[in-house]
Amino acid sequence: MHWGVVTENWHLLSRGMLTTLELSAYAIFFSTLIGLVAAVMRLSRVPIVAQVARLYVEVFRGSPLLITLLFVYFGASYGGYELDTFPAAVIGLSVYEGAYVAEIFRAGLQAVPRSQWEAARILGLTQPRAFWHVVLPQTRTIALPPLVGQYISLIKDSSLAIVIGLAELSREGQAIVDRVGQPLPIYLAIAGLYFVICYPLSVWVRVMERKSRYS
Amino acid sequence: MNYEWRTAFGYWHDLVHAASTTIQVTLLAFALAVVLGLGAAIARLSRFWPARFVAGIYVEVIRNTPVLIQVFVAYFAAPSLGLHLTAFQAGVAALGVNVGAYLAEVFRAGLRSIPEAQREAARVLALKKPSIFLHVVLPQAIRNVYPAIVNQFIQILLGTSLLSTIALPEITGTAMEINSQTLLSVPIFTMVLITYLVLSNIASLLFGLVGRVAFHPPLEVRKVSKPRRLGLVLPARVSRGR
Repeated sequence: MHWGVVTENWHLLSRGMLTTLELSAYAIFFSTLIGLVAAVMRLSRVPIVAQVARLYVEVFRGSPLLITLLFVYFGASYGGYELDTFPAAVIGLSVYEGAYVAEIFRAGLQAVPRSQWEAARILGLTQPRAFWHVVLPQTRTIALPPLVGQYISLIKDSSLAIVIGLAELSREGQAIVDRVGQPLPIYLAIAGLYFVICYPLSVWVRVMERKSRYS
Repeated sequence: MNYEWRTAFGYWHDLVHAASTTIQVTLLAFALAVVLGLGAAIARLSRFWPARFVAGIYVEVIRNTPVLIQVFVAYFAAPSLGLHLTAFQAGVAALGVNVGAYLAEVFRAGLRSIPEAQREAARVLALKKPSIFLHVVLPQAIRNVYPAIVNQFIQILLGTSLLSTIALPEITGTAMEINSQTLLSVPIFTMVLITYLVLSNIASLLFGLVGRVAFHPPLEVRKVSKPRRLGLVLPARVSRGR
């Protein structure tokens, strides 16, 4: 094994890692937004709204992310739009992971007692304010650990953007292997880079879970 | 438009063929994952620290790196260690090892959920150590975490789509092939999406039936609990009594 290939191509790997981080950051933001909206819709009193949200969650939790990415990227050109790989990856990743985030928020929201709503409303808070300032903060201990766990999955899943040709970390690695060979050191180095990003988050999740168990 | 959908639908035979590959990989990888996961869970709960240590490293490394990279290591990098696997074997190995690490955590949670009193009672009844584990602890542990096990099975099923990157002719790879020949992306990928939805729903239905038959008391996996309406969005009738 020649670890030299890793240091020689470090600039490519670090560029790929930056793209991975950027893609993940955008997708974390949008998937959280989509997930929150879908969770609220799912708990709505209006049946159609709740059913639409349910369908969204069921479809994306029952199909692979690759298909979503291919759908967004190739479907855009099929519909006559020109979509770059990066926005396509952000859209696909956000919409897909949003379905999982929605379930996490739903579990959190359902754990908040109804009386919290009633108390907030009786104190004169409007519905959005009651949601934002009273109910949502109380979902923290239940929803935050699985939410961060989902973000870890999202960062790992961003590697699938390779199929639409986005030059993120794993695509950069593949390109290096195609050029100079040495798959073992390159892919181990890439695994190491993902590990460096994900492991601290995993430890954080474990600490949060332990805290909430004892409190 | 109609013509395009009909053309795409003409490929259904290829998709059925690809689905059989997907199912084969899924079943074999799940078997491997159960063995690895159970082994790692037992090792992580053992009193022998090197076993705990090795199993801990396995679980942490696999869970914190992307499954795609694990597939690449199994298929592209393993040959440089003298291990030549076909795409099918590499896919089974990578998915099995990957989900094994997640199942290890699931099984560990299940095994830890069994009260010590169960073991003590079994010992008092003069059961030997292996049969205490096999007949008393393990069935109850599996029952407690059954839904999570089913989830991991679905993860393998959906994860087989990644094997398109190592040119295994499963559903997604076949669809990408058809797409590059016909450029009918939306009809093709819609068909594939529906195929995956059908497969994953059949899987969870079957596991639900197994759960109802195999456990005592029977286990309802797909509990149809209606989400409690919070009265969000519209309209707010707060003063309404219960």
